[in-house]
Amino acid sequence: MIANPRLPLSLVLVLSLQACVSATVNEMTYNEPEAGIGDAALVILGRRHAPDYDTEFDFIDCVGKVIHSGDPSITVINERQFIDRLYPWFEPRIAPMQPSDIDRLRAQEPIQEQLSRFGIEYMIWIDGTTIETNSTGSMTCGVGPGGAGCFGFGTWGNEANYEATIWNLNEQAEVGKVSAETSGQSYMPAVIVPIPIIAPVQDTACESLGLQLLQYFSSEH
Amino acid sequence: MVAHLSDSMIFGPRPYDLKMIALVAVMALSGCSNKQVIVTGNFPTPTMTKVQTTLGVVYSPEFANHEFFDEAKGRNESSWLVQTGTAQVEFWNTFLPGMFERVVVIGSDEDWHTHHESLDAVLIPQVAELQYAIPLHTNVKVYEIWLRYQFRLVTPEAIHAHEAESLMFNPAEDIASFTLTAYGKTPSAFMQSDTDAVNYAAIVALRDAGANFVTQFDRIPAVATWLLALGEDTPGEAP
Repeated sequence: MIANPRLPLSLVLVLSLQACVSATVNEMTYNEPEAGIGDAALVILGRRHAPDYDTEFDFIDCVGKVIHSGDPSITVINERQFIDRLYPWFEPRIAPMQPSDIDRLRAQEPIQEQLSRFGIEYMIWIDGTTIETNSTGSMTCGVGPGGAGCFGFGTWGNEANYEATIWNLNEQAEVGKVSAETSGQSYMPAVIVPIPIIAPVQDTACESLGLQLLQYFSSEH
Repeated sequence: MVAHLSDSMIFGPRPYDLKMIALVAVMALSGCSNKQVIVTGNFPTPTMTKVQTTLGVVYSPEFANHEFFDEAKGRNESSWLVQTGTAQVEFWNTFLPGMFERVVVIGSDEDWHTHHESLDAVLIPQVAELQYAIPLHTNVKVYEIWLRYQFRLVTPEAIHAHEAESLMFNPAEDIASFTLTAYGKTPSAFMQSDTDAVNYAAIVALRDAGANFVTQFDRIPAVATWLLALGEDTPGEAP
């Protein structure tokens, strides 16, 4: 039995609080597959050769899920599985930097066989990361015989900046670039209970980029 | 000749683990937190055209038990012990059979006697140096591991038994001696411990060592000459 019937509603409200995010998406694509990509698959890979950041694996997963859930007929190969099966050719040190590099790899029969097994026609490279831009405020938490609680206020900003480059492996050509820039400020006021008001900066960037890519690859969008 | 071979000892009695004793002593005396990482992970087999060669591999005790100890320099720092030996052996035992047609691990004088006639060469890896960096050191939210390997490729005849447990090689019978570097990093992440991050960076470094080995091996002039003499094509070019 629930003592206070408003409590679940309050919890739902608190959990669903989100701060605002601003997003900018740019797209420049060519040779769109108007009938979709049919039985072919695509793989999304993160660039990880920069000294100070890696494109996050979970961001790549997220973009893949947006594309596949938007059009289940599109097969998106799992990034880690692809990199492992084609080890070491997609390690950051020697990963292909242009579409023609793939053709050189295909000269080795085991690599050609593996790529054919995956059935990949498009390769998407995503470069970027999400960073924290600023943070301020303070919060104090304590525990006593009568209970526990926090008091204070914290705020921090996040910026996400990602660029996806699309390669058509059959044509050995770059066929487009899509970028997403998002930013937002998150807040955490606390009067006994901290209430996080999170700006879903990375999720918004993922969805923006994923939907743009979906429009490019899917005949249904 | 004895002195010459002593310089080239690759197998010998295992020395006492002084670093572990030092770590325990430091922990007991300072009361500071200390970090120990036994590097563990899964490594993929390379996908490539294999070099049609039978290669012997000798892992010295120093290599198979490789570890790195860094003592804390201040009260706010931790001492670090990073043990890569087991992962090193696991990685190279997975990697080399994917690159060469046949690979034989030479673990004893008996192994050498059994296989030496079928071997084209013997590879002896060593970790010459390991460096690490954590956000506390650099103020950058990245954990890093940097490795420098020293590889020797020698003729099978260069390997000799010495005393009961020792295998040695004669440096005069080197085919090639070369160094390779490897680098691994991982950004700091929410709910990820220092030790998990260093472990992951070490795994990335080992994978990078394989990538560097594939692309550099046949570019070393002495190795290229040896492969040419075997009538072998190069293992494949990186993009």
